[in-house]
Amino acid sequence: MSLWFVFAVMTAAAVFAVIWPLGRRTAPGQGGAETVVYKDQLAEIDRDRDAGLIQPAEAAAARVEIGRRLIAAAEAETATPSVTRRGVRRAVAVVALIGLPLLALSIYWNLGSPQLPDFPLASRALSPAASASLDALVAQVEAHLEKNPSDARGWQVLAPVLMKLGRYDDAVRAVRNVITYGGDTADRRADLGEAMAAAAGGVVTKEAKDEFERAVALDAGEVKARYFLGLAAEQDGRKADAAAAWRAMLATAPADAPWRPLVEASLARVGGPPIAAVPDTDAAAVEAMPDGDRSAMIQRMVERLAGRLKQDGRDVAGWLRLVRAYMVLGDADKSRAAVADARRAVGDDQGLLRQLNDGLKELGIVE
Amino acid sequence: MTRKQRRLTMIGGAIAVLAVAAALVLNALRDSIVFFSTPTMATEKHIAPGRRFRLGGMVRPGSVVRGDRLAVTFDVTDGNATLPVAYQGMLPDLFREGQGVVTEGAIDQSGVFRADTVLAKHDETYMPKEVADALKKEGHWKDDYGAKESGARESGASESVARSVAAQGAGR
Amino acid sequence: MIAEAGHYALVLALGLALIQATVPFIGARLRDQGLMNVARSTAMAQMLFAMIAFGALVTLHVTSDFSVANVYENSHSLKPLIYKITGVWGNHEGSMLLWVLILAVFGGLVATFGGNLPTSLRAHVLAVQAWVAASFYLFILITSNPFIRIANPPIEGRDLNPVLQDIGLAVHPPLLYLGYVGFSISFSFAIAALVEGRIDAAWARWVRPWTLMAWIFLTLGIAMGSYWAYYELGWGGWWFWDPVENASLMPWLAGTALLHSALVMEKRDALKVWTLLLAILTFSLSLLGTFLVRSGVLTSVHAFATDPRRGVFILLILCFFIGGSLALFAWRASALKQGGLFAPISREGALVLNNLLLTTACATVLVGTLYPLILEVLTGDKISVGAPFFNVTFAPLFLPLLFAVPFGPLLAWKRGDLLGAAQRLIAAGIAGLVVMAVVLAWTHGGAMFAPLAIGLGVFVIAGALTDLAERTALFRVAVPTALRRAQGMPRSAWGSIFAHAGLGITLIGIVCETTWSSEHIAVMKPGDVAQISGYSATLDDVGQRQGPNYREMIARFTVTNGSDLVGIMTPSKRSFTTRGSSTTEAALLARGASQLYISLGEPNGDGSIVVRIYHKPLVLLIWYGALAMAFGGLLSLSDRRLRVGAPKPARAPRSLQPAE
Repeated sequence: MSLWFVFAVMTAAAVFAVIWPLGRRTAPGQGGAETVVYKDQLAEIDRDRDAGLIQPAEAAAARVEIGRRLIAAAEAETATPSVTRRGVRRAVAVVALIGLPLLALSIYWNLGSPQLPDFPLASRALSPAASASLDALVAQVEAHLEKNPSDARGWQVLAPVLMKLGRYDDAVRAVRNVITYGGDTADRRADLGEAMAAAAGGVVTKEAKDEFERAVALDAGEVKARYFLGLAAEQDGRKADAAAAWRAMLATAPADAPWRPLVEASLARVGGPPIAAVPDTDAAAVEAMPDGDRSAMIQRMVERLAGRLKQDGRDVAGWLRLVRAYMVLGDADKSRAAVADARRAVGDDQGLLRQLNDGLKELGIVE
Repeated sequence: MTRKQRRLTMIGGAIAVLAVAAALVLNALRDSIVFFSTPTMATEKHIAPGRRFRLGGMVRPGSVVRGDRLAVTFDVTDGNATLPVAYQGMLPDLFREGQGVVTEGAIDQSGVFRADTVLAKHDETYMPKEVADALKKEGHWKDDYGAKESGARESGASESVARSVAAQGAGR
Repeated sequence: MIAEAGHYALVLALGLALIQATVPFIGARLRDQGLMNVARSTAMAQMLFAMIAFGALVTLHVTSDFSVANVYENSHSLKPLIYKITGVWGNHEGSMLLWVLILAVFGGLVATFGGNLPTSLRAHVLAVQAWVAASFYLFILITSNPFIRIANPPIEGRDLNPVLQDIGLAVHPPLLYLGYVGFSISFSFAIAALVEGRIDAAWARWVRPWTLMAWIFLTLGIAMGSYWAYYELGWGGWWFWDPVENASLMPWLAGTALLHSALVMEKRDALKVWTLLLAILTFSLSLLGTFLVRSGVLTSVHAFATDPRRGVFILLILCFFIGGSLALFAWRASALKQGGLFAPISREGALVLNNLLLTTACATVLVGTLYPLILEVLTGDKISVGAPFFNVTFAPLFLPLLFAVPFGPLLAWKRGDLLGAAQRLIAAGIAGLVVMAVVLAWTHGGAMFAPLAIGLGVFVIAGALTDLAERTALFRVAVPTALRRAQGMPRSAWGSIFAHAGLGITLIGIVCETTWSSEHIAVMKPGDVAQISGYSATLDDVGQRQGPNYREMIARFTVTNGSDLVGIMTPSKRSFTTRGSSTTEAALLARGASQLYISLGEPNGDGSIVVRIYHKPLVLLIWYGALAMAFGGLLSLSDRRLRVGAPKPARAPRSLQPAE
C-alpha cells in the first residue's frame, strides 16, 4: 500500500511542478537581459584600463562598440511585452493534471512489477532458506569454490548442474578445474568436450574435438567421446567416416546399452543402414523385455502414436517421432506414408510446415 | 584591405588547410592502413611477401613452439588454410592455443608470416570482431561471443546438447 | 519498493521531459511568461526524479537486492562497497542512467542559475534539453531498463568482473559523460538561437561557462582513461587510437574550437554562424561517441554492449538530433545577422586559424575512425586504421597549430601586428631553439623529429609565460607594480596561460615517451639482474599469494641506480580461477616525471618468468599537462565575469523563484 502512496506523492510533485508557474501572475521585464551583459562588459573595460591591461585608446574604441550593442539590445527589449494567455494555460494545466499521471501510470503498468517486494541482502540473511532455488544453490557452491578453487569434488558436482542451466562456458571452466585438481580421466575429457560443443551451440569445434581425441587416447572405449567424434565427422561433411565410427560403436556395444537408440538414430541420419531395430521410446524398459514381447510392444506403441496423430495432426514432434520409428524399424513405405500424412495434417500452417520440414531434413529426408 | 579581400584571404586559407588535410588523409589511406586477412584469404590472394597485413584466426592447438630469447612460432588457422607465424616478444596474457588471435606483420620469402605485433585481448570474452566474423564463416566458431546466434544454428549433437541449445535460444 | 519507486520516478521524468519539450515552445511563441516558466520548474522536477531513479539504483546495488536483474547480473554481495557503487555505471543500463542523470542535472543547473538569461532564451534552451532527455529516457525504458525485476530472486549475484574493479575505470566514465553531456547545453543554446533567429555577443557569454565546464570534464576524462590504459593493460601504452578513444577525442577537439570561437563572438560579435555550427557539431560528436561505444558497432576494448536493438535505437536518436539540427541550421542560419569585421592578422584571425586547424584535425580523426566501418559496409573489406594513419594526418595538422598558439594571445583584437608579436616572442623562440640544440647535441645523431618537437613544446610554454610577462609588463615596470598587475589580471587570462602551457607540457611528455622509452624484455630467474637506462632491477623472488577472490603471482624487484637503492617494485599477475580470467598489475615507480614500469608475463616451468621492464622518460608530463589544461579551464570558469553568466544587476537578493 505504501508503494502506491509513494507513487501518489511523486505524481503530485510532478504535476505541481508543471502547474505552479501557470498560476502566477507574470511581472514584465523578468529574467535576465542582454543589456546586463553589455553593461558588465563596459565595467570590465574600465577595470582593465584602470589596471593598465589595455591602452586608453583601445578602451575608448571598445566602449563605443559595446555601447552600440547596448543601445540595440535595450531597444529590442522594450519592444517585446509579455502577455498572459489564460486559455492555453488552462489547457496545459489539464494536460498536467490528467495526461501526466495517465501517461506515467500506463508506461509503468507495462514495465514495472509493483507486486514484487524488495529483496536486499540484509533481509535475506534473516530467512536464508526462503527461496533456495537452483540458481541460489549454484551461487552458493560457486561462492564456496571461489574461495577453495582446488576442491575438485565441488567442481565435479557443479559442472553437470551448470550444463543443465545452460551456462556452458562456466561448465567448460568447471570441468577444466575438475581435470586440473582431480586428475585427468577419459570421461572427464569427454565431458569437457561436450561442454565445449554445447558452448559453441552444438558445433564440435576443433578444440572440443581435441578433447574427445584425448579421451579416446586415454580409454579407447569412452562412449561419449566416440559418439562425438562421429558427430564431428558428420559436421565436417565426412558422412562415411561418421557412419563408420558409429557402426563400430554399435558393433561392440552391449545390446542393452542405453545410448544405443541415439547412436542408431544418428547413424540413420547419415544414411547408414541400421543394425538393430529399437525405437527411441523408453529404450531401457523395452530392452529388458523378452524378444517377442518387445517387438509386440514396439508395434503397439507405434500404433498408439499413429492413432493419436490421426486425432491431433498438429503435433509435429509426434509426426517426426513416428517417421523416425518407421525408419528405424526399416519400414520405408510406412515412413513415406507417415510423411505424406503429416503434410496433410499440418495443412497450410506455415509455421508448423517449416518446423516439419526442418525436422525431416534433420532425419535425412530431403525432397 | 577591402571586406572582399579579407574574406577571400580567409576562404583561401581555409581551402589551403583543407586541401593539405585531404592530401594527407588520402595519402595515409593508401599507405598506412592495414588490411585484415584470414589464412584462407592470404593463400588465395597470394599476398606478396613484404606487404603488411593483419592476420587473424585461431592458434592451432599444439603448434606453439617457444624458442630462445622469447622467440615463438605458432600456426594460425581458419579451418581451411594454415599459416605459420614467427614472433619475437612477449605474448599477451590471453594468448592461448585454440583461441582467436590477431597478428600484424608480413609474409617473408619462405612463406612464414613474420609478426611484429600480437594483439592483446581485453578479457576472456573479447574476440576481435574480424576474427569472429571470419571464423563464423568457416564454421569453426567457438566463443561465448556467438552465444546469441548459436541458438539458431542447426545442431546434430546429442540429445542433451540439442535440448540445451533450445534452452539457450529461449533463455538468452 | 525502492526498485519500483526508482522505476516510477524514471517514468515520471519522461513525462515531465515531454511537457518541458513542448509547453515552453508554445509559451515563447505566445510570449506568455507563465508558460515559458514551466520549463524552469519542470527542469528542476525532472532533475529531482532522475536523481531519485539513480539514487534508487545505487541503493539497490549497495544493498545487493538481487530481485533486480541489473543488480543480479552485475553485482555480488562480496564486492567491496566502493565497487558496489561504481558497479552501478560499470554496466550498460546503469551507465545510460548516469548519462541521463547528468543531462537532467545540467538542465536543472540552467534552470537554477539561468536567472540572468532572457526568459524566452531560457525556455528554448530547456525545451531543447528536454528533447534530448526525453529520447534518452525512452531509450532506457524500452531497451536498457535497469529496473527490470526477477520474480524468484537468486541468492547471489553473478558478476564480479575483476577488470572493472579498478578505481580508474570507475572514475573515467562519469568524467567523460560529464563532458559529453555538458556539451548538450551549448547545443541547446545553439538550437534556441536558431529558433529565435537572434544571436549576439551576450549569447556567447552565457554559453561559455557551460562549454568550459564540459571541456574541463572531458579533458580530465580523457586523461584519466589514458592513464588507466597505461597502468592496467600492462604494456605501457597510453594511447592506442582505438575508436573508443577517438570517440572522446573528437568532441574534445571540436569543443576546444568552440571555446575559442565563442571567445571571438563574445568579444567581437563575429564568427556567429560558425560558432553555432561548432556547438551543434560538438554535441553531435558527443552523441556519436556514445553511439560508437554503446551500440557495439566497434568491437574494441570498451564495447561491452552487444545488443543490436540498442544500436538501432541510438542510431535513430543520432539521426534525429544531428540531421534535425543541421537541417535547422541550414534553414535558419542565413537569417542571422552577420557579425563584425576583422583583419586576417588579428586575434580573431589567429582564433580562426585555431578553429580551422582544430576542426580539420577533428575531421581527419573522424575519417580514420569511420572509414573502416564504411568500407566494411560498402565492400566487405576489413581494414584497420591505426597509429600510422593518425601519425601522418593528425600530427602534421596539430604541430602548426601548436606553433601558432603563442602568437594568438599576443595579437590585438581587430587589427594585429604580427611582426610585433614575433618580436615579443623572440625570447620564447630562443628558449625553444636552445633546448632543441641541447637535446640534439645530447642525443647526438638520433631522430631529428624529437628535438624539433621538444623545442616546439618549450616554445609553447615560454610563449605562455611571455603572454604573462606582457600582460603584467614584467621587465618594463618595477617588480611590485608587475605583481600588482598580475593580481589584477582576470582569472580567465591566467586560465589561458595555464591551458596553453599545459599543451606544451603534454607535447614534451608525448615526444619523450615515444622517442626515448626503453623496453627490456627478458626471461628472469630469482637473482637475475636486468639493466635498463642506468637502473638495475634485481628479481629477488617470485611468490604466490591468495587474495580475497584470486590467486596472485607476485614478484619482488629491488631497483638500484649505481649503488643507491631506488625502490622496491612488486608487479603481480592475478588469476581469478572461477572466472577464468587474469589481470596484470604493473608496478610503477616514479622518478621525477619519469617512470619505471614492470609487468609480468607468463611463468615458465623452470621457475623463470617473462618480465617486461620499461623506462619511460618524462611520461608523467603527458598527464601533468592535461591537468594544467583542466586547471586553466577551472581558473577561467571561476572568473567572476564568467561565473555562470554575467553578475546579477543591483537588485534586491532573490530566492530561486521569480520575484513578483
